[in-house]
Amino acid sequence: MTVSELVARADLKAAALPDGEREITGVYIGDLLSWVMGRAASGDAWITIMSNRNVAAVATLADTACVILAEGVQPDEGVAALAEQKGINLLLSGASAYDTALRLRDLL
Amino acid sequence: MKELSLNILDIAENSVKAGASLTRLLLDEADTALTLTVADDGCGMDGETVRRVTDPFYTTRTTRSVGLGLPLLKLEAEMTGGSMTVESRDASNFPDDHGTTVTAVFRTDHIDCPPLGDVIATVTTLIQGHPDTDFLFRHTRQGKDAVELDTRELRQVLEDVPLDSYEVLQWIEGFLTEAYE
Repeated sequence: MTVSELVARADLKAAALPDGEREITGVYIGDLLSWVMGRAASGDAWITIMSNRNVAAVATLADTACVILAEGVQPDEGVAALAEQKGINLLLSGASAYDTALRLRDLL
Repeated sequence: MKELSLNILDIAENSVKAGASLTRLLLDEADTALTLTVADDGCGMDGETVRRVTDPFYTTRTTRSVGLGLPLLKLEAEMTGGSMTVESRDASNFPDDHGTTVTAVFRTDHIDCPPLGDVIATVTTLIQGHPDTDFLFRHTRQGKDAVELDTRELRQVLEDVPLDSYEVLQWIEGFLTEAYE
């Protein structure tokens, strides 16, 4: 499933969607960025509650398909624009990380 | 990082890469503040570079040489209500007095403050990985004796024995373990 399809079908909001055709091949959940950096796989939808610039950098390094901010967390100032500029899909979910992951489980 | 000692390792590796002959690793615990300082006499950075090292996208280029260590350290320190600063003097402008000092303050009473972790393993790992450069490690704690190790002093006693020899590393580990008791 592509990131654009996920947005439409999982009740997510896109804060930045520069690469909606990107295919999602897995899911990773984590908030400790140094940990995520070495473990999230290329093509993962990464669910986190962290919302700063470093999230965009880790998403780039790990080559995730998208970042999903869970729990209704909003990106810090300037982060949505940064994501757009760096080609990172940044989605927002009002649900918990667990419930967001469950939705992905059903859809993927 | 899950432990502060891993940050120390990460930042100190930058110092070694910058060609430092001496890297000082200082930990100071006072009240609810833990101050971590990594100060080296390496090649340093110009003002423009210093301004950019905490920008995660400066360091994620394919030519990156410092990793995400500094942006993450800054984030982790700020998450506890602390801060991180980087001061540097580059070798071309300060040929006689150059190097970089990274100072991070963590608030230890904040729930997001990571544990210090295995400092002894960090120090021995650094010495083992870089036996030809010097490290000064000093950990000061409120109301306790400071723990200190200076590889320059070790070198004087050891003469030609390399610092990464098994016996020396064993001794360092034992010495630090005892100092912390």
